[in-house]
Amino acid sequence: MAGSETRDRLTADVYDIPRRRAFVELGDDDLARLAALRPLAEAHIDRLVDDFYELLLGQPDTRRFFPDAHVIERVKRSQRAYFLGLFDGKVDEAYVDDRLRVGAVHERIGLAPKWYLGAYRRQLRLLLDLLFSGVPDPVEARAAFASLQKLVFFDMTLAIDAYIVARDDALERHQTALRELSTPVIRVHHGVLLLPLVGTVDSLRAEQVMDTVLVRIVEEQARVLILDIAGVPVVDTRVAEHLLQTTQAVRLLGCEAILTGISAHVARTLVQLGVEIATMPTRARLAEGIELALAIVGKRIAPAGAGAGSAAEHAGPDGAGRA
Amino acid sequence: MRPVEVGHRGGERAPRSTRLLGRHELPIACEADIVLVRRKARSLAQAYGFDAFATAAITTAASELARNCWVHGGGGAAVVEELYDGTRHGLAMEFRDTGPGIGDVEWALAGGHSTTRSLGLGLSGSRRLVDEFALETARGEGTTVRIVKWKRF
Repeated sequence: MAGSETRDRLTADVYDIPRRRAFVELGDDDLARLAALRPLAEAHIDRLVDDFYELLLGQPDTRRFFPDAHVIERVKRSQRAYFLGLFDGKVDEAYVDDRLRVGAVHERIGLAPKWYLGAYRRQLRLLLDLLFSGVPDPVEARAAFASLQKLVFFDMTLAIDAYIVARDDALERHQTALRELSTPVIRVHHGVLLLPLVGTVDSLRAEQVMDTVLVRIVEEQARVLILDIAGVPVVDTRVAEHLLQTTQAVRLLGCEAILTGISAHVARTLVQLGVEIATMPTRARLAEGIELALAIVGKRIAPAGAGAGSAAEHAGPDGAGRA
Repeated sequence: MRPVEVGHRGGERAPRSTRLLGRHELPIACEADIVLVRRKARSLAQAYGFDAFATAAITTAASELARNCWVHGGGGAAVVEELYDGTRHGLAMEFRDTGPGIGDVEWALAGGHSTTRSLGLGLSGSRRLVDEFALETARGEGTTVRIVKWKRF
């Protein structure tokens, strides 16, 4: 349930009910006053809910969230429970859970805060009408509305917090997915791995890249790792440091590191920064790096038909005689 | 704040009246903001027609100083200014934080020293990448670094 997930994240803050209540000045007298009005609310609940959905169904920005009669029936039922909940006379953890769930659901379906916060306005007006028509004494009606307003604002602060937490969670999940996507370690040849670094190397990613690479080197028994930085837009001292550390760790595993993909302006910038990366073999282009890597593992790229390749021997003009 | 070091290269320092053509203030409140700052620096450098070397220098210096602001200063803000001095366009960038300040500026600017086990070349390196470099710092009050890169003809 969305509410319990949210609950894990924000227990300390969100469930500090006394502090939240104090800020909107929601006292026990307010809750008692509202509880006494529950019969009135129950008597008019259907009209309240219908009036409220008249707004949501009449506006194109919110209409699209209610595709069919079935959905409308369901949301009206929960709205009914919500309205009546205002007259329960208690604000406990279950109450907070329920309000948090509302915010999280809105985030999940993509209903923007501007619309659902805006909808509270209609809700307050409907409740104002209810109280002033149903409570004979205007002073009492006014007091009841003031209490109700406190509780509704208490709800709004919870809904918005839940929305933010749900949004943060989504962002974090996306970032994790992106980090994993962006660490492809490619096997170029037996014993030769290629790590193309792309985009921003932040601290988290630097660590993750290092871990992934070291594990793969051991798995593949790699002897050479090519680090290609052609896709890194800014090579600053943080990136340089990451490259140097990776190289050191890689060497401890008995693997050689080659740096490729250095453009002219990156070379010059690195020199001006005072970064010393001469300790690792470097090549401007990836192709040259691959040639060097193959040379280290005792292989080379040869033109087809040349050298001692078996294909040339078998397919030669007089190849048939040799078989 | 007490100015403790002002250094510049590339001729006289804004002797003519320098006009401000644009100003952008960007917060540095998380690591990802460093990327936004240097993207802004890069797009402005490209828009003003800085060559590839100068663009890399501006972007890299922005990256270094924004990172310092975040790592050492606990965050702050970057202000990027588009300048015109009558003949040349320039980009000024100011990085402000309210961190602990730099105790020994000479030591920090000499390069190769670090308080965070990094390479320690960010500050000294950025200084070599730009035309003007000014640093103000005070213990317990924070650090402000202002750099300017002028476009060559």
